[in-house]
Amino acid sequence: MKSKFTILSALFIILAGFRLSDSLFVTPPHFPKPNYDFSKNPLTKSKIQLGRALFYDPILSRNNTISCSSCHSQYSAFTHTDHDLSHGIDDRIGFRNSPSLMNLAWKSSFMWDGAVHHLDLQSLAPISNPLEMDEKIENVVSKLQTSNIYPNLFYEAFGDSIITGENTLKAISQFMLTLVSANSKYDSVMLKLSSFTLQENIGYNLFKKNCASCHKEPLFTNDEFKNNGLPLDTTLNDLGRYKVSQNPLDSLKFKVPTLRNIEFSFPYMHDGRFKNLKQVLNHYTKGIASNNRISDELKAPIILSSNEKVDMIAFLLTLSDKQFLFNPQHSYPKEILLGTVKN
Amino acid sequence: MKIINFILAFFLIAFNSTSYSQSKRIQISITPTFEHQILHLDDSSFIRNDWNNLQIEVLKFYISNIQFLKSGKLVLEEKNSFHLIDAADKNTWNIVVENHENAIYDEVRYNLGINSSTNAAGALGGDLDPTKGMYWTWQSGYINFKLEGTSSVCKTRNNSFTFHLGGFLEPFYAIQFLSFFIKDQQQINLNLDIAQLLRRIELSKQNHIMSPSTDAVNLSKIVAESFKISEN
Repeated sequence: MKSKFTILSALFIILAGFRLSDSLFVTPPHFPKPNYDFSKNPLTKSKIQLGRALFYDPILSRNNTISCSSCHSQYSAFTHTDHDLSHGIDDRIGFRNSPSLMNLAWKSSFMWDGAVHHLDLQSLAPISNPLEMDEKIENVVSKLQTSNIYPNLFYEAFGDSIITGENTLKAISQFMLTLVSANSKYDSVMLKLSSFTLQENIGYNLFKKNCASCHKEPLFTNDEFKNNGLPLDTTLNDLGRYKVSQNPLDSLKFKVPTLRNIEFSFPYMHDGRFKNLKQVLNHYTKGIASNNRISDELKAPIILSSNEKVDMIAFLLTLSDKQFLFNPQHSYPKEILLGTVKN
Repeated sequence: MKIINFILAFFLIAFNSTSYSQSKRIQISITPTFEHQILHLDDSSFIRNDWNNLQIEVLKFYISNIQFLKSGKLVLEEKNSFHLIDAADKNTWNIVVENHENAIYDEVRYNLGINSSTNAAGALGGDLDPTKGMYWTWQSGYINFKLEGTSSVCKTRNNSFTFHLGGFLEPFYAIQFLSFFIKDQQQINLNLDIAQLLRRIELSKQNHIMSPSTDAVNLSKIVAESFKISEN
């Protein structure tokens, strides 16, 4: 009898936990199952809030000037507008364009070259990169431990005011996992709540024919690495995935980025070489550099008339999700951070 | 009140000593050495002028997945078995494994480094916490073995050598599986001799390995071969 009660209680706690997680992270009905294992880091409100504070707090950088949001601002779909190459601490220039951040629970690797394979460990890269935040996670933890607010926030989140690297990274993950974009016009059309205009529909059909094999719906990326025929920028000599795998077949391959919110995530490509969508489409129709490692999907030429390019762009703009871009739950947590400014 | 405290203390001691006597504890001591001299990087570097002005500044490595076998059959394995051994901190040199079932064994096995599935598990705590300085940041993965120092044969900046060995994906999976046959002993003494390791590296040519690679895998094998078990 006692053991039955224990089993029932355990079942109740597990189910209650799932329901709690569910309400904080809802898989959109037309999305696949997420890749992130939520059982290893179950979402809670206090952990998400802690992660949000950390995401926006420059305390993560060596001289407390650069936060994650410096290169990932909400209004631009959490990327860095206006800069082909993102800049970090002391205005040092990096060598890639910061990727937009959304729907990260569905990704299996991170960065343009997939160097990071787990969301929890992703933040370590920008924190320690000398061109980005130039700080050590050990120092971050000790700075957090002596701050006015974080021991309490960690206590609320993890039941322990002793701050660890593990909990710091998991909290940042929790916030990033909530950055789900699934409320664009495209989504409402897929859910049969609205319909495309004639022009958007033509653009959608062109997209399905020419682009969807790599920019796979509904996430608009297949999360793979492809060589899309960009000529090598010899000022950077960035060979992409090759740096990680050291496999010559991976030379010049980069992660296929999502096209969601592409209206706001300019400039485009891993080095931000294209300023607008027209330049991107012109690349695919007439700019592809001939090399023998170009992805199979691009071996046959893509032919689009000027009108078709306009139609395609009309479709791509249906991927903008204003609810996501202006969601107050994703914005700067002034209620937490503004109280910490010291005189 | 004092009497109650005394009685409580008595029972606590009695209970603890009973539980200890019920199970054997196996202690594994892992000692970094240099030509049989203990390599303790306490407050200063280890210096050997007769070895091309060799200085060793950092020596850290992971021991994981400790198992005991009898006639090739698993009889005991440590749960959550991840240990960061640091030449600068003697407290990390001893590992205690509880042998609750009083298992009889004739072999000990362990890994040098962290396996793929643990590498793929996300942020972890304890000895695996990324604040321990054994996690790469520019790409994912634990550093299994870290050796840093200087030698006059290294024609590098500050004559430095740096070996950060790791990698959890094929073909650069660097973890090493070690095994030693032992008596049914409760104290196991292992040592990792850095002199033996450095005799097999041509430091003038090979002095920097800091990412997963064939060189990292090959050197990891040499590190594994530099572990020796000593008789009690």
